[in-house]
Amino acid sequence: MSFRPREETVPPEARQITDVAVMRFEHIYEVDPKLMQEHVRQQPFPNWDTLRVAHSRHDHLAWMHTHWATVVVSGDALLRELDAETGPAD
Amino acid sequence: MSTAAAPGIDDRVLDELAQVVGADHLLTAKPARLHRARVPAPFPVHRWAEHTPDAVVLPASTEEVAEVIRVANRHRVPVVPRAGGTGLTDGAVPLRHGILLDLKRLDAIFEVDLEDRTATVGAGVNMLKLNEVLGKHGLIYPDDPASYPCSLVGGRIGTGGWSLVGSRYGHTRDLVLSFVHVLPTGDVIRAGDGGARKISKSSTGYNLKHLLMGHQGTLGVATEATLKLYPRPEAELSPFWAFEDYDTAHRALREIVRCDVATFAGAVLFDEQKVAYLRRDDEAYIPQPANVRALVCAVLYGNEDEVRAGGTRLLRTARANGARYLGDEISEGDWAARHDRYATPLHGRTKAGQVVPMSWHCEDAAVNWTRLPAVRREWHRIVDELRRDSDVFDDWGMFAYTSARTGVDYLTEIDVGIWEQELDDAAWEAWVRAKREIAQVAVAHGGSISACHGACRAGEVDIVPEELGGAYDVMRQLKRTLDPNNVMNPGKYGLDGAYQEDLT
Repeated sequence: MSFRPREETVPPEARQITDVAVMRFEHIYEVDPKLMQEHVRQQPFPNWDTLRVAHSRHDHLAWMHTHWATVVVSGDALLRELDAETGPAD
Repeated sequence: MSTAAAPGIDDRVLDELAQVVGADHLLTAKPARLHRARVPAPFPVHRWAEHTPDAVVLPASTEEVAEVIRVANRHRVPVVPRAGGTGLTDGAVPLRHGILLDLKRLDAIFEVDLEDRTATVGAGVNMLKLNEVLGKHGLIYPDDPASYPCSLVGGRIGTGGWSLVGSRYGHTRDLVLSFVHVLPTGDVIRAGDGGARKISKSSTGYNLKHLLMGHQGTLGVATEATLKLYPRPEAELSPFWAFEDYDTAHRALREIVRCDVATFAGAVLFDEQKVAYLRRDDEAYIPQPANVRALVCAVLYGNEDEVRAGGTRLLRTARANGARYLGDEISEGDWAARHDRYATPLHGRTKAGQVVPMSWHCEDAAVNWTRLPAVRREWHRIVDELRRDSDVFDDWGMFAYTSARTGVDYLTEIDVGIWEQELDDAAWEAWVRAKREIAQVAVAHGGSISACHGACRAGEVDIVPEELGGAYDVMRQLKRTLDPNNVMNPGKYGLDGAYQEDLT
């Protein structure tokens, strides 16, 4: 969280990612504000709260993995082993 | 024959209910009743009052449940059981008002048997919370609906639940060994394979366990269940693959399932409309290149060495069938999110692209692998017609989930966003017509109206006699025999007809 309140209420500049989505924080996408003009308006949202929501979601997903199994096997690692045996895919 | 069709409860009934459950657990205030009128299934919000119960009771034991049902029989008042209220058909929605039997206080874990690996629990126990207890013993109860954090064991029994990992561990019907069941008369029995509590295969007598599961509260209510437990998996692997078109993904899905990997717990096919929908709002799919038009994921659970060996085989097979692995971050994140789809924030788009608040409605069917492409085409046509006429509806695409490890059939669903604030009688009627057509398509292709949710929703319920044929007449005879006063969830499945005709 920033020291001054105004630093929390001014979001970083939006970067257009697709024709319907923008990004202000790394890997956190938002609906393009131009699509929220008529029926649902965007609300002011402090930066710390945006990050808290995103981090909480990641915490929840990580918790769900450990809830179901002790180890999550990496598909990337298995593919590297497969490539080492047979050569990479075309 | 007199039935409990008339709504309304007089003070005499309320006094008797209060004596059974205690005054603190008899709720008649409007918020308590409105809360328990709907579920996440399609609901005519503009006619909410038609589905509000007259009173809510929260019993704490099988004996109290049985006594509530006896009171209902004495006064011919409808009773609707409700567990987590997460069902995607309207089993827990009162059609004739009456008493809402909320099972949440039946939340005791009575026994964890570490030797025979079973647990005996109340119907109000949630699977996630149960697994937190079982995890300390290295065990798991692997019944895994998309409502895993919020649905309850009793609801899973009443609706005949389907599990995301059912291809490995079976579905609710396989995982519940037996249960205590209060019949519509208030009599209490144990339903299982035979009469014992912890037996998974018996040849004694009729198999009442399956009859008394999935009836949507029309044949009574389960209050306590004995469950089959498994070792908690050492390892999980959940690869997600991208494809350039639906047909390639559909064929690859078949080959992945045919690998017959022992730790295979399920696979999911995302169609092109689903990918297009996710590309609007889902952080995993927004940055995907335009040539990603369909997806398949698989999930494996078990011992780590077996998961690694099986996973390698699936990755090799997927690669040989046109797949591109999406990477660990998406694969792991999306799979973890599948245990908890009810936490997804929901909005849709008008045809002009503007964001509108929408609720999620999911029409499901059981369809064979060979018929998935044809059913998919026809279902999208039906929803396209709805959307063409109205911004109330938005096509959110389709999934197909393996129901069994041989890949014989799939839980096939089309997700539709509905702008509920704009629902009126005309839009609701259009929706019910569409649901009827969706069910007709599934049956016409040799499928079943529902793999998971139940088939008693408005529209599709009209097609149930067509699907079941003579078995529907048996259903009606059973209903009238077991529930002579029609107090248990009257109006569902068209079963009121059982009391109006000569069935002999």
